[in-house]
Parts: sequence; structure tokens; C-alpha cells
Amino acid sequence: MALKQVSSNKCFEGFQKVFEHDSTELKCKMRFGIYLPPKAETGKCPVLYWLSGLTCTEQNFITKAGFHQAAAEHGLIVVAPDTSPRGCNIEGEDESWDFGTGAGFYVDATEDPWKTNYRMYSYVKNELPQLINANFPTDPERVSVFGHSMGGHGALILALKNPGKYKSVSAFAPICNPIQCQWGKKALGGYLGSDTSKWEAYDATQLVKSYPDSHLDILIDQGKDDQFLSAGQLLPDNFIAACTERKIPVVFRLQQGYDHSYFFIATFINDHIKHHAKYLNA
Amino acid sequence: SSFSEGCTAAVDRSTPGPAGLVFYHMDLYGSSERFDIFPEEPDGQGDRSPEDFREESALSSKKMQSTQEAGYDLGKEVEELAKMYGLDEDREKELELLGGHLGTVESKQPLSHTGKAASQGSLYNVSESSSPAQSQSIMPQEFLHEASQEEDQNKSGEEDEAQSHVCSREALSSCGVSEERSSQAVSEEEEAADVFCSTCKIPIRAFDKLFGEHKDHEVVQLDTAVESEREEIHKNMCKLEEQIAQTENFASHLEEIFITVEENFGRQEHNFEVHYNDAVQVLAQKYEEQVEALAEEKRKKLEALYGQLVTCGEHLDTCKELTDTTQELYLEKDKADFIKAAVTMVDRLEEFLKKEVNLELSVMPEFEERVIDFSEVEQLMNSLNTIPAPGAPVINPQAPNAATGTSLRVCWSLFSDDTVECYQLCYKPVSNERCGEEQTAPSPPTIKTKKIRSCENAALVCWESRDINPVDSYTVELSKLTDEENGDIITESITGIPNCEALIHLQPTQGYRISVRALNLGGSSERSEPVLIHTTGTYFCLNEDTAHPLLAILDDGFTIACDELENPDCDLPIYDNSFTRCIGILGSLIPFPGKHYWEVEVEEDIEYRVGVAFENTPRHGYLGANNSSWCMRHIITPSRHKYEFLHSGMTPDIRITIPPRRIGILLDYENCKLSFFNADIAQHLYTFNSHFQHFVHPCFALETPGILRIHNRIAVPLGIAFP
Repeated sequence: MALKQVSSNKCFEGFQKVFEHDSTELKCKMRFGIYLPPKAETGKCPVLYWLSGLTCTEQNFITKAGFHQAAAEHGLIVVAPDTSPRGCNIEGEDESWDFGTGAGFYVDATEDPWKTNYRMYSYVKNELPQLINANFPTDPERVSVFGHSMGGHGALILALKNPGKYKSVSAFAPICNPIQCQWGKKALGGYLGSDTSKWEAYDATQLVKSYPDSHLDILIDQGKDDQFLSAGQLLPDNFIAACTERKIPVVFRLQQGYDHSYFFIATFINDHIKHHAKYLNA
Repeated sequence: SSFSEGCTAAVDRSTPGPAGLVFYHMDLYGSSERFDIFPEEPDGQGDRSPEDFREESALSSKKMQSTQEAGYDLGKEVEELAKMYGLDEDREKELELLGGHLGTVESKQPLSHTGKAASQGSLYNVSESSSPAQSQSIMPQEFLHEASQEEDQNKSGEEDEAQSHVCSREALSSCGVSEERSSQAVSEEEEAADVFCSTCKIPIRAFDKLFGEHKDHEVVQLDTAVESEREEIHKNMCKLEEQIAQTENFASHLEEIFITVEENFGRQEHNFEVHYNDAVQVLAQKYEEQVEALAEEKRKKLEALYGQLVTCGEHLDTCKELTDTTQELYLEKDKADFIKAAVTMVDRLEEFLKKEVNLELSVMPEFEERVIDFSEVEQLMNSLNTIPAPGAPVINPQAPNAATGTSLRVCWSLFSDDTVECYQLCYKPVSNERCGEEQTAPSPPTIKTKKIRSCENAALVCWESRDINPVDSYTVELSKLTDEENGDIITESITGIPNCEALIHLQPTQGYRISVRALNLGGSSERSEPVLIHTTGTYFCLNEDTAHPLLAILDDGFTIACDELENPDCDLPIYDNSFTRCIGILGSLIPFPGKHYWEVEVEEDIEYRVGVAFENTPRHGYLGANNSSWCMRHIITPSRHKYEFLHSGMTPDIRITIPPRRIGILLDYENCKLSFFNADIAQHLYTFNSHFQHFVHPCFALETPGILRIHNRIAVPLGIAFP
């Protein structure tokens, strides 16, 4: 698994780099952004994975979220993968923005023609961390995950499906209950088929109901003026209700006046980095 | 200069979504250096302003048009480029953009080099100066160097000139002439070139070189000659300046030495004077002592001798008298009288002769051997070159906290010139001068144990003195409790406290025994009953005066309870300072910056407000409803537990899935933060960011019947202590 450096920029005494590699899981070239804090020059650092939302590439987060200073201060490596396989020449791949390219939904597809390439869940859970641990000064035991929108969904399901694997999880405006919303129905239906019982394995609200213990501190920020909130795509209330019932600790902050954009993310990114640093650097 | 935004292309791989979900990739700025600097500037000098530069590039493009027949139309290219990128409008942009087109210019460089006409030389020169940034970054120095060697002398001169133009932008050594020189050089090249005969050291016309007497002489371009002469002169000037600077340096150094010598010798002279005077004085004193002693000895001896002489005379007289009397006896006729007298006489004579006559000298005539002691003088003489005695040290005034009941810290300072081996400290007890009217020492004060407040780094202790005797001040004595059971050793005293309260700085997680003494002119009292303070966490008590009448404080002092929200008989006593609407109470937190942490145990089914408030927060309002209080509020709605984080009546919208049963409150004055946690799972709930203008106090209020249990004196838990 050779890495090819695409770019490298010094940033807050560390480096924001982008690499390209051939993914065995996705069978295509994939890019990811990685921020190496100054501390990574002398020792092993925890890794925080960021999962982006619909239509994003590895670029959006690293250029817009403004997370570098906090990551540098807390000594966190931050990895931001792409959101789907690219250039796989699958028919219909680029037809819509909420399915196919840029909309991998962090699931392992089981349906043709997607099942060969669209294995973002396994990619993010296994292949990418292996690659990162093999090539960068990481502490494989200290890993956390967070994301935005579709990536928030990805972060929540990764944490909930793998108890103990992630020290902490947080999300910005996550798609909390995809089996109940249009985006989720389209994506899960397309990748997993029409049997809705299969979808539940990728639904945070469903997963909470079978989550074994409560050693997971979840922080969620949600813009109150997020049009996708009012459009019923995110459904955080369902998730909150499930967590309340299952006694999973969540702090959910409804932020007055904020929308779904990276401006919203940039506003609260420091709180999230700090949230993770508390557990990663404990 | 910053990167301009012009030459970047937005790379957007995303498909535009519905309004509000349009993500743009960031423009990817290349971060490579814009131009490399030559490792060495052969003859670069001067700094050229952009204006100057623009002027010249305009000039050169004009010239370009006139030399179009040279075969290569570079001028037009440059002009086109200039037009395309608004060369004259924005200098910065131009550099950037031309930098992006290095390839174009680079390919042209060798072209201009292969041209061999003399005019081509100037053309090359122009192309260089019109795009300095590129040519610097792309043309290796060796290349320039080689090229100049290949060309004839004449051309090489020009090249150097050109190079100096190019390099001058980067060169740092500032030289005023370079600016005019560069323009001058350009104008001179347009006229018939005059040359300089190196052999005859005179300027000649180029014509003479070809046909005149200088035919076989070595010549150089006049410019070049002038240049090198100037160079030479400049070098010499530099040397001169260097010398001047050196000499000036040396002169000032000499002055310093002069002063030092004067000072040092003056000091030594003074030293000598003092010491020789001492020596002379000692000698004089010794002389006097010796002379005196000698005179004394002489006097004593003479006295003794005289006495002996007198005794001798007396003895002689007695002998003579006896002889006379004896002779008279011989003349006596009467036998009876003779016998009578003779018997008496014989007795007398016998008696007299029995006495021994001392004919020895009572004293020796020689004077005593006296050793003249020069050791002291010697010492004095020897000390001439050793260290002088130090001046008297100055004792500093007594510092606060410098004394305990049994010890006193004395500090002094000495004059910096003195060398000291050791000090001698003398002291004696003095009685108080003003002790005219006898005053009795006061009786020991009593520490108010219930009012003690502490935190990791300080304790606030209050006491009272029930003494009728006046008290001038108090002394707090503290001893650190250690495992070695020597808690009686006072480790610190704070003296001169005028009132009955002291904020004592302490070290974290230590035990202290603290007692107080009262002092007046009559002396100090016995120690008060000591109190023990442990600096783990923050400790405070509830301020009962502030409690709402319906709020009860249980016996432990830290549990507050409310049985009913309204009292049927409205005659409850209301104190000035108590809450009147909100069933609340304030704690008394130590007024000390830093971090303070406490926890409140709550029941899930009661409504409450907990947080902090200024001491003067309105008693008739609700906690959190004003700008003098910050609190977390729990409300039970039919559907869920609702949590508010209130300040000035505003709260963020926050949902918490696990109702905390133990709320951790972390007040951090330094970072201006008040944070709330679910202490059981170290979950951060909310943080107020507020610069507290005054010290605050914990506040607690019940809004449904129930109890709140306050826990303090606990260290900040690890998961919460995280910055």
C-alpha cells in the first residue's frame, strides 16, 4: 500500500498533507487529508478521524473547518478521507449528488453494481486506519471519530457498531436516523437493497438500542436554522430519545441561528477537538 | 508581498446541491518560492524601487521597437505580456504572474545569447532587465558566467552591467549611486561608445582604437573603466572608513583606559596614605610607650639607689656617734661612773654590731633589656596591598512575616566594593521605651471555625478577640502538618495583622495547623486554639444569612432542604440579606483566584438551580435571571428533563440524555470559565465563558420540595480537570 504525497503545507508548526493510494477495499485510487501536529515529529499521537458529508472530498474539511490550531495544541493527528470511491465507471454513479460519487454513506454495499467498490464502512474502519498506522507516528489504541451530516452518521455508526474501538465520538448535524429520512432511504436502498431490516445495521438510532455499555461520551452540535433539520433529514430527536432511554450520555446542543454549512462547523470545531482530546489524551 | 488571488483556479469536484449545500474546494495555492536568490552576488549593489524598475522596462520596450530588425521581437512579447497581466497596474501581480510563465521566457534566453551582433548585446541586456524575477530564478549563475567568458571583452562588459541590473534588486548592500548609474548606463549605451585605453590610462574614442595610436592597445568600454575605477575608489573609501572606525574605536578604548588608570591609581594612593599613616601612628605610639617605660625604670632605680645612700649615711652617723661616745668614756675619771657607763656602752655596741651592714647594690645599674615589637607595624605594612576592611553593612528594615515568637529574620546589605569573609551579628534585648503605663498582654483570640474558607492555595481565617485590653495587632502562626509529628514547629508567621481576618497563602494538598496571637505593648497573648486546614479542593460554608426563609440547612451544614414552596402563615422572619423569592442560598467562597470545584448531589425528580452569583446578586430575583448570576437549571417537563444554563435569563438549547445526579461545578477565574459536568461520568455539560469582574459565591436554589447535598473539599477529578 504505497502512499503518494499529493500536497504538503506547513500549518501551525505541523503539516497538512494530502496523500493518494490504491484502495483494495474500494478498488480505486483514494485520497485522504492528514494533519500531523508538531508533536508528531517527536512522538506518537492519537488519531481523530473526520468523516465528511454529502458531495465532499478530502479537501472540504481541511480547507474550511479551521481545526488545525486546536489539533496542533492538543497534539492530535486528524485524518479526513474522501466520501466515496471515485472514477469507478459505474453507471449512474454521477447522476445525483446524494447517491454514488460523493455519497458513499459509510456502508458496505451489497447490491450490484455497487458492492464491488462502495465499501466505505470497511474502508474507514479497517483499511484506512491500517494504512495510517503503518505510515505515520500514531498510537493505534487512541482513536476517535467525528463527522458532519452524512459523515456524522458515519461517525456515530462506527462508534456504536464497534464498542470500545473509539475513545469518543462527536458529530455536527448528523443524519441520526437514516432509515427514516429521504437521503437514507435512497442511499441504503440503493446500496443494501430493499430489505429494510438490513438497513438497521447502519442506523445510529437503531444501533443505540443494542449498544452494550455507556462508556461513550457523545457530543452533537446542530444548527437550529439548518434547512435539512426542518426537512426531516437529520432527525436528532429520535436519536436523543433512544439515548435517553438507553442511558447513553449525549450532550446535544441546538445552536441558535446556525445552518448546515462549514461556517457552522468552524464555529464549534474547537469544542469538538477539545471533547476528543479530553479522552484521547487522558 | 502576499500571493495574489489572480492565478489560481478553483477546483471544484463537487456537484452543486440544493441551495445551502454548495461546497467549494479551497483554492490550492502553490507554496513554492517565487524566486530563488543567487547564492552569491558577484557585483550586485543597490536596491531598486519598483517605480524605477517600471520606468526602465518602459524604456526598454521602446528601445525594443527600434531594434526590431535584430531579428527577434522580444519587445513585443514583453509588451504583450505586460498588457495581458496589467504590468503597470499592479507590480505584485506582475511578479506573480510572470513567475507563472517562466517557461516562455526561459526558452528565449538562449536565443538572445546566440546572437552575435553588438546590438544584440544590448537587446539581451534589455530582456534581462525587463523580467528580472524570472531571469534570476531560471538562469543558473554558471551559465551567466560561461556566457560572459565566451563573448568578447566588450560584450562581457555589457553582460556584467546587465547582471548587475538584475542582481541589484536582490542585493542588500545599499549604495545610492546605483540607481542613477543604471539609468545613466542605459543612456550612454545608445550613443557612440567611448572606450578607455588600459595601456595609456586615458579615455579615447572608439574610432582611435581602430585607426589611431591606440590600435594595439588594450581597451575597455569607458563605462566599464569608470565602473571599475569607481569600484576601486569605493573600495578605498570603504577601507578608509574602516580605518576611521577602527581608530575611533581605539581612541575611545584609550580614553577608557585613561580613566581607569586614573581611578585605579587614585584609589591606590589613597590606600597607601591611609596605611602609611596607620603605620606611622603605630610606630609613634610604640616609641612613646618605650620611652615612658624606660623613664619609669630609671626613676625607680635612682630612687632605690638614693634610699640606699641615705641608709648608708645614717649608719655612718650612728658609727661616728658611737665612736665619740666611747672616746668620751675613756676620759671618765670616776671608776664607778666609768663602769656604769662602760656596761651600757658595751651593750649598745654589741647590739649595734649585731646589725649586718648591707653593702650590696639594691638595684642593677643596667637598664632592662627591652624587645622592640615591630610585629604590628609589620602587619600593617604587609596589609598595604591586601583587601581593605569592609564598610559597615546596612541592616534592612524588618520585613513582614520575618519574625516568629522565637525567631527573627535579619537581612542586611553591604557595599558592593567590599569583600567579606564573615559577618558578626550582635544583639541584645531592649525594653520597650514607652512602657510608662503598664499594659497587660491580651488574652488569646478565638478562631471562628465555622467561617473558615479554603482552597488549594489559600485559606481565609477569621477570629474574634473578647479582650478588654486593647489589641494592637494579631499574628497568625501556621505549621505544616507532616508525618514526622513535628507539627509544633511554626513554619510561618504572619505578623502585624490589624484586623480579625487573614487570607493566608498555602500550598496545595497539605495539612496546616493555624493559630492566632493577639499583641499589644504588654506583649503577646497565648496562642489561640489551633484549627486544622487541609488544602485539598475548595472548602466553603453556606451563608445562612442569605437563606430564603423556607430553606432549611440540615445539621451537617451542607444539605439544604425545602418542604413546601409557600408558607400559609406569612410571618416568616426575613433578614436583610436573604433571598425573598427564589428559595435559595449563597455559599461563602474564598475570595481567591484560581480554580474552585464543588459538587451538588441532586435527585432526578426535583427542580433546582445551581451555579455562582456575585455577593450582591438581587435577593428578590431568580438565580440566572440577571447578569450577576450564572446557573444550571433543571426543569421537569411532561416529556423530558430539561436543562437550562442561565445567565441574564438566556440559555442555550441543550439536550442531555442522562440526568446528572451529581453535578460538578468548576469555577476557573483565570480562564474565565464556569463549567458544569455530570460528575459521575465526567461528562462535560456546558461552559459559561465569562470574565468575572468580582469574586463570586456558589449559589443553590430549590424550585420543588426536596434536598440538595453539597460536597466540597474535593480535588478536581481527572476527567474534569482537563483544560
